[in-house]
This record gives sequence, structure tokens and C-alpha cells, in this order.
Amino acid sequence: MSVLNEAERTPDSSFAAQEQPTVLAKAWRRLTRSSLTGRILFPITCLVFWLLAIKIVTTIWPFAVDVLPTPGQVFGFMWNEIRGDTLAPHNMYETFGISLQRLAIGMVIAMIIGTIIGIAMGLSKAVDAFFNDWVVAILAMPNLAWALFCSLAFGFGDLGPIITVVLTGVPFVIINVREGVRNTPADLFDMARAFDVPRKRVIRQVLIPSLMPFLFAAARYAFALGWKGLVVAEVFGGQDGAGWTIKFWYDAHRAYGVVGYALLFVIFALVFEKFMFDQLSKKLFKWRPAVDAEVVEERFDGTAKAAVASAAAASTATGAALGSITLATEGPPADQPAQPHSDETIRRDNDHG
Amino acid sequence: MATTLDSPPKPPVRTSEEDLVRAAKRKNRITTWGWRLAGYVFFLGVWELASGNLMDERLLPGPSTVFETFGRLWASGDVPGAFATTLTRIAIGFTIAFFVGIGVGVLMQNRFLNGFFRDAVTIGVTTPGLIWALLTAIIFGNRTAGPIIAIVLTTFAIITVNVSEGIKSIPKDLNDMAKSFDVGVVKRNRHIVLPHLAPFTFTAVRFGFSIAWKVTVLTEVFAASKGIGFEMRTATQLFRLDEFLTWILAFYFVALFLDKVVLESIERRFFSWRGELKS
Repeated sequence: MSVLNEAERTPDSSFAAQEQPTVLAKAWRRLTRSSLTGRILFPITCLVFWLLAIKIVTTIWPFAVDVLPTPGQVFGFMWNEIRGDTLAPHNMYETFGISLQRLAIGMVIAMIIGTIIGIAMGLSKAVDAFFNDWVVAILAMPNLAWALFCSLAFGFGDLGPIITVVLTGVPFVIINVREGVRNTPADLFDMARAFDVPRKRVIRQVLIPSLMPFLFAAARYAFALGWKGLVVAEVFGGQDGAGWTIKFWYDAHRAYGVVGYALLFVIFALVFEKFMFDQLSKKLFKWRPAVDAEVVEERFDGTAKAAVASAAAASTATGAALGSITLATEGPPADQPAQPHSDETIRRDNDHG
Repeated sequence: MATTLDSPPKPPVRTSEEDLVRAAKRKNRITTWGWRLAGYVFFLGVWELASGNLMDERLLPGPSTVFETFGRLWASGDVPGAFATTLTRIAIGFTIAFFVGIGVGVLMQNRFLNGFFRDAVTIGVTTPGLIWALLTAIIFGNRTAGPIIAIVLTTFAIITVNVSEGIKSIPKDLNDMAKSFDVGVVKRNRHIVLPHLAPFTFTAVRFGFSIAWKVTVLTEVFAASKGIGFEMRTATQLFRLDEFLTWILAFYFVALFLDKVVLESIERRFFSWRGELKS
């Protein structure tokens, strides 16, 4: 844009413009070009928009006052929750503790089942054909269906939500593990066979370590999606937990409660994801020079080959969509130098290089 | 004697090798399909047997019951109307989300706007659809705007993420060249960026669609007086699990059909001019 504008000006005016820039103009230019100002500006714009919307709506329909939560109400609510002062039967920490417990149990079960089936599917074509369609079917099923079904079939309590978490998590684990088994270095297996290494040791010392990044990615997605599934399940079939508490505020018709709890919820998931998984991945993969495994997340057509590059792009693109919790929040990996043009090009280069 | 010996065996030898390969392939395919069928039989059998034996029939209706119920529901005439309502909602919401998502994705080329929208995209991707569903239900009630806004908010971020993934792989030299030859922003985006993004937008559409229909059903559960989600809620509140399963499975098949058959064939036709690309 600026290039174009300068080109359109007559030479002497552009000279004048070039002599003009003061410190202020330079600072302004820098400010409008940096991504940080944009980032700071975003919440401010949102807040202004929020307040404006409330103002406009309440002038048109005065009775809408108690439907639209104001920022003050929401943040006041969040502050009260953080202090542990709440009208709900459990305070925030207990609630998230209960939910996390369910999530952890569900995820452990999902990981165990998923790893077993995934390894079997990766090793044998027959098993792959046997399970493949059903894994895809379970993957594409909305978690709402599981949640409603489990709440009716297993009653209110722990069982329904846990089964929902298992069912939402298992297909991801299976697909990732299968991909991991297929990607294990074949020469290592050949070598193991040539040196007569027993099967048990091959599995423990070759297969499992090369599976680790895939298992880790599986855990990550199972966490992100299981978490969402869990909330839905708790809304319909819980007696406590995060989802139930959101529903509690919804039933009380307190929109600020819903918004505030939702924000807490998102923050909680982000913090958990960022701290726990990032730290874990750093620790787990210290021995590896670089983790550059292409991990598959939501592939509906593992076998069908799309005709276009989009298929090749799909693995990274959809990966980004699901993994963007990390991608979008962190931008470039911290240990790599930032690039002037696009913050995230590096990540992609790494994927392909 | 030599001629009679030489001529007959030769052709069969050559074909037999080809035949061997073909036979092996066929055998492979047959075993794969056999196992696949076995999988279907096994899982459907487990489901059918589990209902009534392992769990109460009212808690876990088997596949045969679901079929019967579908016939009954179809006869009652509610099915096409409910499907039409939900599909219209998805269509409207998804179209808006598509344009918003692509617009934001293209705008995110700019560093400043990238920073501006980055958190919006993060929020869009991480917030469960449930929260948007509840919020729009509180604010809009049963009005049509609610589900549509919920779809837009959950889907646009997915589309943006895919689009910006595509933008990252834009050949930088083309853009630089265009810049140095004073090609305007609009023209540059129209002739370089958008064509490059086409395959990514298709991925985005398919991925976004798979999210959009789920969110639509979810919002309808909370705030709607028509549509699949509403029927599901009614069925669960009346404790009719057979009807509930029938509704969700029927819509599931429709969505899967749209995703796998319709969108995929459109994609194939759209990109038939392109050869197989490898990255």
C-alpha cells in the first residue's frame, strides 16, 4: 500500500515526505506495524464492542438488561470464583478437580485401549481392515450424541462422563498410534531381526520409543477433545464438575455466570495445555535431536487419496486447526529466531524439512 | 518335435506371472474386504446382542430397533422438515463463517492484523461449542439468529487457521516480485494469494463442515423449536432412546454423505485440472 502511494506522488512531494518523518511519525509507523499492538488492541476493541452492543440493545429493548452480561459483572464473578466465593455448591477448585479426575481416568482408559488397538492395526492389515471403518465412525460422531446417550444409559454420576471421554479420545489415540507404528524405522526392525533380538525387546526398545511422539500427540488431542466432550457430558449427565456448573449458571439464567465460567474454563485449558504438555514434551524428548514427526489428527479418509495437494496439506492444516491451541497462542517456537515476515513460517519449514 | 514343445508352454508362462501378481492382489483385496465385513458383522452383532442381554433394551436399542424406528418416524412425516430446518441453518451459518474465515485469514498476512486476530482465532478454536450454544441460547432464546451465530463463531476460526496455514506456504518470491512491480494490494491478493489458497480452502470447508454440523445440533438442543437437535432433546426428555439414536444416526449419515461424497467429488472436479501435487 505504502509503496503504491509513494509511487503515485510526484518526486518532490515524496522528497518532502521523506524529509518530514519526525520521531513521532516513526513511532506511529512502528506502532501500527507491530503485531504486539494488534494483540493489545484486540481485547480493547472487544471490550468497546461489548459495551457498545449492550448500550445499543438496552436502549432498544430495555428489558434485555439482565440477559446481557456487562464486563464488570463477568470479571467480578470471575474474581469471586477465584477467591473461592461462590453460590454454586462447589467452588471453582473443587469443580475443576472433579472434572480433571474424570478426564484423567477417561484418558488413561482411552490411551490403553487406543494403544493396543492402534499397534495391532499398524502391524496387521487384517486388523486394520477390521477396525478402520468403526474408528472413523466413532471419530466423526458428535460428542453430544455420546453425552446424551451416556447420561440416559448410565445415569447421573461419574460413569457417563468418563465413558464419553473414552469414546471421544479413543479414535485419536488409535489413529496416531497406527500412524506411529507405520512410521517406525524399518531398518531398525530388520537389524533387530538380523541380530535375533527377541520380540519382546524389539517392542520395548524399538517400537515404544519411536511411538512416543505419536502417543504424546495423541494424549494432547485426546486431552483437548476429551475436555470438550467431558463438559457436554457433565451438562447432561453430571451432578458436579465444570460442565454441570456452567449448566447451573445457565439454569439460574445468569449470563455473566456462563461467560465467566466459560472464560475460566478456557484459561484453565490453555494453562494446562501450555504448562503440563509443553514441559512434559520437553522432558520426554530431551534425548531426541528434533521431533519432526508428522502426526495425524483428524483424518476422515486415511485410505482414500485426495487428488490434490490439499490432501498433503490436510495433515498439517487440520493438525494446525486442532493443535492451534499451541500454534495460535505461542506462534513460533520459543527457541527459534523470529522471522520478519510471518511469525509462523518456521514451524512449517521444520515440518517439511 | 521341438516346435511342438517350444511353442505351447511359452505364452502361459508369461501370463502366469502376471496372473500370479493379479491373483495375489485380488486375494489381498478379498481378505481385506473379508476382514472389513467381519468387522461390520462383529460390531453390529455386539451392539445387537448387547441390547437386551447386557443392557436393558430401552437403554440400548439395537440396530434393528433403530431401523424400525426410522421407518416409523419417516411414516410420521417429521423427518424431512427437521432435516430441512437444520440443513438450512448449517448452510446460512457456514456460508457466513466461510467468508468471515477467509477474510480474516487473508487479512492476517499483515503483521498488525495478525496480532489483532490471533487471539480471536485462539478463542474461537479453544472455546467448546457448548459455551457458544449456551450463550446464544441465553441471549437470543429461540430466535433463528442464535444457532447461526454459534456456528459462525465456532467455524470461522477453523477456516482461518487453515487459510493462514496456506498463506504461510505462498511462494514469497511471487509476492515480492508483485510488490516490486507496484501491483496493488487488491490485485495481489486476487491473483496470487487466493488462487494459491484454493486447495487449503477446500480442506477448510471440509474440516469446518464437520465441526459446523455438530455445533448446529448442539445449539438446537438448547434453543430451538424445530430441527434435529430439538427432536433429539424431545426424545431424551421422554426417555425414548430408540428415537434419539435414530435421529442422531440419520443425521450423522446425511452429514457423512455430504462430507465424503458431495464435498469430495466437488473437490475432485474443481481440481481436476491440477496434476498430483507433492509437497
